[in-house]
Amino acid sequence: MDEIAIGIDLGTSYSCVSILENGKPIVIPNEWGERTHASVVSFLEDGTVLVGNSAKRNIITNADNTVYSAKRLIGRFFFSDEVKKAQAVMPYKIIEGENNSVRLQIRDALFSLPEISALVLKEMKAIVENYLGHEVTKAVVTVPAYFNDNQRQATKDAGRIAGLEVLRILNEPTAAALSYGFGRDITQRIAVYDLGGGTFDISILEIGKDVFEVLSTAGDTYLGGDDFDDRIMTWLANLFMKQTGIDLRLNKYCLQMLKEASERAKIDVGRDGVAKVHIEGICQDPSGKVMDLDATLHEAEFNRMTMDLVQRTFKVCDEALQSARMTASDLDAVILVGGPTRLPIIRTSVKHYFQKAPMAGIDPDEVVAMGASIQARSLLDSKGEHFLLDVTPLTLRVGTVGGYTDKIIDKNTPIPIERSKSYTTNRDGQEKVKIRVYQGESNKAAECELLGEFEFSGFRIAYRGEVRIEVTFEIDTNGIVNVTAADVETGQKTSCTIHLSSGLTEQMIRSAQTKNAATVLSREAAA
Amino acid sequence: MSEPAQPIDDAFEIEAQALAQIMDELDYFQILKVAPAAPPSEIKLAYYRESRTYHPDRFYRLDTGDLKDAIGRIYKRINEAYVCLRDDARRTKYLADISGPDRQKKLRFVEASEQELKKDKEQEIGATPQGRKFFMAGLQDFAAQRFASAERNFKMALTYEPGNPNYKIKRDEAARLVR
Repeated sequence: MDEIAIGIDLGTSYSCVSILENGKPIVIPNEWGERTHASVVSFLEDGTVLVGNSAKRNIITNADNTVYSAKRLIGRFFFSDEVKKAQAVMPYKIIEGENNSVRLQIRDALFSLPEISALVLKEMKAIVENYLGHEVTKAVVTVPAYFNDNQRQATKDAGRIAGLEVLRILNEPTAAALSYGFGRDITQRIAVYDLGGGTFDISILEIGKDVFEVLSTAGDTYLGGDDFDDRIMTWLANLFMKQTGIDLRLNKYCLQMLKEASERAKIDVGRDGVAKVHIEGICQDPSGKVMDLDATLHEAEFNRMTMDLVQRTFKVCDEALQSARMTASDLDAVILVGGPTRLPIIRTSVKHYFQKAPMAGIDPDEVVAMGASIQARSLLDSKGEHFLLDVTPLTLRVGTVGGYTDKIIDKNTPIPIERSKSYTTNRDGQEKVKIRVYQGESNKAAECELLGEFEFSGFRIAYRGEVRIEVTFEIDTNGIVNVTAADVETGQKTSCTIHLSSGLTEQMIRSAQTKNAATVLSREAAA
Repeated sequence: MSEPAQPIDDAFEIEAQALAQIMDELDYFQILKVAPAAPPSEIKLAYYRESRTYHPDRFYRLDTGDLKDAIGRIYKRINEAYVCLRDDARRTKYLADISGPDRQKKLRFVEASEQELKKDKEQEIGATPQGRKFFMAGLQDFAAQRFASAERNFKMALTYEPGNPNYKIKRDEAARLVR
């Protein structure tokens, strides 16, 4: 029997899983024929865990113990803006863990973000195993191209916790391009416009017969379909406030009902041009009377309230085209990825910006998972029938004096790549050298994402300036950063301690694996 | 048009190991196997050609860690070469760098960062106000052929910045001319 490796699109809102069958990628549905699965994990009172569309139903009834949009928090520090924002709106409890990390408290248990994502991955793995009738252990997992090192590392950890050997962390737009160009023998320059639930990516690629070269990538990890929902929520809440004087946003329970209705309204308005919103019993007035919310959202109104979000994506597109030294007219095709790209406002704006209609016949919800399974197969075969030349999305930097940083590796550099930099000791008898590593486009450290603080020791002890330490920064094919150091004169590798990292230790991963393996996911149909 | 990639056999392994050993002595044109005057389209083709042979994904399933390490070293350098040579400005500077006397030191292209440029400038005229003051005075003496005075000023500058190599060069030069 052939070895099987699966491709998983681990999305902010929805996930999808694919395998290659007879040389063609196919999406594997679950027992109830669902092809995409809400990235929602719900912990029930009796210890049962639900994942997917059945868990999503619990967002309102079991709000405190149901986790959604975990991808917005994965790989972030507790002090980051995204975490603060989530604390304000999420019904589940977000608390601080060791080393500035983020933990979720579900009843008496604490979960790291990779542990939550690992439960979604476990469900994807179970869907394939159920379909094939045997175990699978290898996977390619996709991430937004603009994910930084912390987010990639955390996603990889999630895979390991779920009992998967993660063959590759693959960029979502690259996966989509692979799925589009695979076996088609085309030579084209394309743009992949990927608007997901929580993130936006644009990648410019050159596709040859057997080569997929990413020329540039740009993105915004704070922009996605969720933000469109938020606009509708604000509109509904304001409307209700005007009608009744009650602010629904003050109650997390009402907020969840609003959120659910907003997502549905967005889909309806995109499909039908108008959405009727009816939320029964959203709250009670001071006298205890149960109240409903009724509203009608027209497309023109929806477009007005989201136009600035759409415009923001094109700022990012400008940046990507500029990095690739191209203009929109140089492109042969535009591919749309992600559920929100079904919205007419996106399709018409994209057509206007790129001066060409987006490619038809590509399923924006499934194309990424399909690309991931193609790459998974290709890595297992290692025949080199096609190869991906991808890039690092962010400039790698080291901290210098006074809160500034120095560039080490530019954004849009092909990976894998490495660069070394020498440091000398500046005190007599110095035993340690500390280096802070960042990713971002500003020379000010505070405006970049901190990857970690590395402390090197174990080199010779000598007078200041006499010891030279060569630090090597490597970005591997997963886009993950590795930092090592050696004493230049002796060639002796120095030992490295990492301080200040939001990541999990080996020991934490092992105990999380045990916990994950022992968790039983309920196989109960979504209503 | 693409030629088939070299099969992965014993001969290939020996070749790859040997290539990984000598990477530090090759310039980027040698790494991509292109002529220094090659047009951009040829550089891209060369990059694709070398990727077909050395892309790490081709070796993903191999058990031989040594060969994988060698491939990793080679391919990272291929990417480094491509990044430099696909950009006209970088390529022109690189070609000048490796055509000069410091060729061996400049085989790996490093863009001077703002920090480094500042450091160069500091080394040239000094990082401390007092050091700079005496050094500038020394330069004036030197230009006016007052070598003894110049030597004193350079020595004074060195008391503020004992490690400045430029100060040392000028002091020695002045000292030589005094005698």
